[in-house]
Amino acid sequence: MTDDLSLLDATAQAQLVARGDITPLELVDAAINRVEKVNPELNAVIHPLFDKARTAARGELTGPFRGVPAVVKDLDGSSAGDPCHMGNRLLKEVGWVDDHDTFLFAKLRAAGFVFVGKTNTPEFGLQPTTEPLVYGPTRNPWNTERGTGGSSGGSGAAVASGMVPVGHAGDGGGSIRIPGSACGLFGLKPNRGRISMGPDAGESWAGCVARHVLTRSVRDSAAVLDVLTGEMPGDPYTAPPPARPYADEVGADTGRLKVGLLVRAPGEMVPTHPDCVAAAEDAARLLESLGHTVEPASPAALDESALMEKFMVILTTWVVHDVNETARRAGRTVGSEDVEPLTWAYSELGRTHSSADYVDAVNTLHAWSRRMAAWWHDDGYDVLLTPTMAEPPPVLGDLVPPADNPFEGAARATAFATYTAPFNVTGQPAMSVPLFESSEGLPIGTHFVSAANREDVLLRLASQLETARPWSERRPPVHA
Amino acid sequence: MDDLALLDATAQAELVRRREASPAELVEAAITRIEKLDAELNAVVMPRFDGAREAVGRDDLPDGPFRGVPFLTKDLWCFTRGEPLTNGMRFLKEADFVAPDDSHLARRWREGGFVNLGFTNSPELGLVPTTEPEAYGPTHNPWDLGRTPGGSSGGSCAAVAAGLTPIAHASDGGGSIRIPASCCGLVGLKPSRGRVSNGPEGGDLTRFLSVQLGVSTSVRDVAALLDVAAGPEPGDAIIAPAPARAYADEVGAHPGRLRVGIATSLGGNETHPDCIEATEHAGRLLESLGHHVEPDHPDDLDDRANGVAFMAVWMTNAAAALETWGTMVGREVTEADVEPLTWAQVEQGRTLSAIQYLDALNQMQAFTRRIAQWWHDRFDLLLTPTVAHAPPPLGELPPRGDNPLADYGRVVAFVPFTPAFNVTGQPAVSLPLGTSGEGLPLGVQLVAAYGREDVLIRVASQLEAAAPWAGRRPPVHA
Repeated sequence: MTDDLSLLDATAQAQLVARGDITPLELVDAAINRVEKVNPELNAVIHPLFDKARTAARGELTGPFRGVPAVVKDLDGSSAGDPCHMGNRLLKEVGWVDDHDTFLFAKLRAAGFVFVGKTNTPEFGLQPTTEPLVYGPTRNPWNTERGTGGSSGGSGAAVASGMVPVGHAGDGGGSIRIPGSACGLFGLKPNRGRISMGPDAGESWAGCVARHVLTRSVRDSAAVLDVLTGEMPGDPYTAPPPARPYADEVGADTGRLKVGLLVRAPGEMVPTHPDCVAAAEDAARLLESLGHTVEPASPAALDESALMEKFMVILTTWVVHDVNETARRAGRTVGSEDVEPLTWAYSELGRTHSSADYVDAVNTLHAWSRRMAAWWHDDGYDVLLTPTMAEPPPVLGDLVPPADNPFEGAARATAFATYTAPFNVTGQPAMSVPLFESSEGLPIGTHFVSAANREDVLLRLASQLETARPWSERRPPVHA
Repeated sequence: MDDLALLDATAQAELVRRREASPAELVEAAITRIEKLDAELNAVVMPRFDGAREAVGRDDLPDGPFRGVPFLTKDLWCFTRGEPLTNGMRFLKEADFVAPDDSHLARRWREGGFVNLGFTNSPELGLVPTTEPEAYGPTHNPWDLGRTPGGSSGGSCAAVAAGLTPIAHASDGGGSIRIPASCCGLVGLKPSRGRVSNGPEGGDLTRFLSVQLGVSTSVRDVAALLDVAAGPEPGDAIIAPAPARAYADEVGAHPGRLRVGIATSLGGNETHPDCIEATEHAGRLLESLGHHVEPDHPDDLDDRANGVAFMAVWMTNAAAALETWGTMVGREVTEADVEPLTWAQVEQGRTLSAIQYLDALNQMQAFTRRIAQWWHDRFDLLLTPTVAHAPPPLGELPPRGDNPLADYGRVVAFVPFTPAFNVTGQPAVSLPLGTSGEGLPLGVQLVAAYGREDVLIRVASQLEAAAPWAGRRPPVHA
């Protein structure tokens, strides 16, 4: 039996509370029931916070989302008093608990959200699938033999199955958009600097990581972005504030957009599955029917090779940072048995880089980002349209790196991040929109990239697409 | 005495606008001044008089706010298409390196109407706060030819202080705009990180600490110069928050009642009494103007550990820079190609691993977060001396000997107040409000919150009106 509240987005649930039709505690209790009902099958919520959530719901709540239940990822932020294991077995073993809120979580709480649990993530967010050895795989509610994508796959499954309307997520190579695509959700990666990573961090992966949420509706994503945006003291990156609230972009006129369509993976590193090509081409026709101009076009710089190598220098150096931080938290050195084989292999590689290698990698990627920006700035394109992933949602186990050759697993992951990761490097906003379903009934996301700092363009377009081809009635087989 | 030499860039531009002087007349007068005085100063190491004459001879001189105003470009990092760039390095000088393209900033200078008369002296790669590169020899301070003009923008500062041009390009990775501005009696504003693009040639991380603008005798020049230079270029990784209005409009605008913390020593450094007096005098002046001034500063500025992270990043950047220039020229840069201090820093930088560098960046980020809180919670401005003592004699600052890094203590002791704000990316200005016992200029530094150049320009303009310095000129002046 379906719980009616499971069909409502956060905005609608908040309206019920605002009208006095329901109390925050009723909303939260219903969400807890849904988690208890479907989570055993999905393994999305790994740290239930039910008692704490009920206490919060009984307390003084304010803000536009008063009493609305949400989940937060077990990575990409600290939440006071809650476990934070980042998919790592040693942190689980020592029972690490965070002692403060990152700004993002404090802002979500101040907006009235109540966290009912923390969600599964691959170790340190390093894989585009959510199958950490320590907590086991999260299953896709559309097909439980499939993965949810990653790294925000726990949040993806929780939102897609109707446990909660909003799941916190972070994206350093596609980790909001990939599970958005795999789980049939709306996933916007905001611009670099749009949402502060403080006070714990200034940046992650040299500015590649952006945080936000996975939602079912565009309006939820826009309204939550209004809650989360805004510079905090000491932020290293700041994004220019929008001209008006993002919520106002929902339903606003998009104008006629000039769109480039790309259905071949950058540098053709991997083939693109016909279903993913079909999804992007179908979206292109939809855009044309809405009056936009679509033509085959993409930034030439997108095909430049050697970028992956530079990105890996940055990524593996940050893995060393993660391993060192884990050692600090555990109070002892970390050995190969304390982390997954791929993480260890990455950290070993990371330790071989010199400081000049790191500087060269970042400089090279920044210079490349400038060449990329020219396509939007000089050539006059508003949006790049691609598939979100080069393959449908992964079969569970397919992406788990073999212990004897972990890099092989990393190479297999390319198909899932090839379209998304370039825009972590450039820092541009990008989104996955659930417009397509494969013949097997799997969601296939469509990926849109705007010029720097133009989340407004993306949100207007997403809202237009949501109206033209609504997805809110589509529900996966596993649903609360 | 050349009357034009007494006019700031804004006034010279106004003459052109009113057709009371032509760009060619302004440029010829400046060339005459350089030819007359630069033999003594050694500020302009690569004159470009023919190019300047050609630029004003054509009828396509861009109609920017500084149309026809003579200008000098610092010989560090900034590419001017078809022109040499040596960064104070013998290596690039001997290789006859020519910039393949314009930096955004060089293009903006040209679009602003400036006419470039040449390139000014810089220490090798801008690594020391004095301007005495082996490649070109020392630049002399027009206030006392035996003394340093400071650095690394010492060539530009000596030139402007002596009236060769009214304004010049400068850059600041550890104090290199503010320090020579202090030594030469000029206004030197280091903008916020991300205010002025370092693109498109790349190197954003190498130049993470460094931001460009320029120096002048007047606050209004610097404000208008910032209007020309400021604003993101496509693909910039870091973009400072946009100002509410033009910086020129902040000149003369009332700053309101500002909360000012004053500190004359950080981490127990020794500050010369003249510098303390200059700073306290500025504090009293601010109080007399209605601001609230009290002894206070962010505690973290006292923590020397932050200097360790700074030096890790600084020396890695030196190593990365050497790689870059070796690649550009197509030949590896060897020990014989660079000065001993450069090589020592590069060698040190090369011993660092990527994770040590990342740890240093993350420490700097945490430091920035804590420092920012002081401004966020309690204060609008920090007031400090710009340097810890008057400009020393030439030859005294450059680290020497077999172990130049061990000799670096003198450099740190001279400039304890400026590098922290290259780490935090905050805007900071040096204003020529003090004088040493020997009659040498001493700057005071004002630091605002990130992105708040508007606050600095308003208060600087108020101080300039209250205690004008335009009449003070060095003995060597056009």
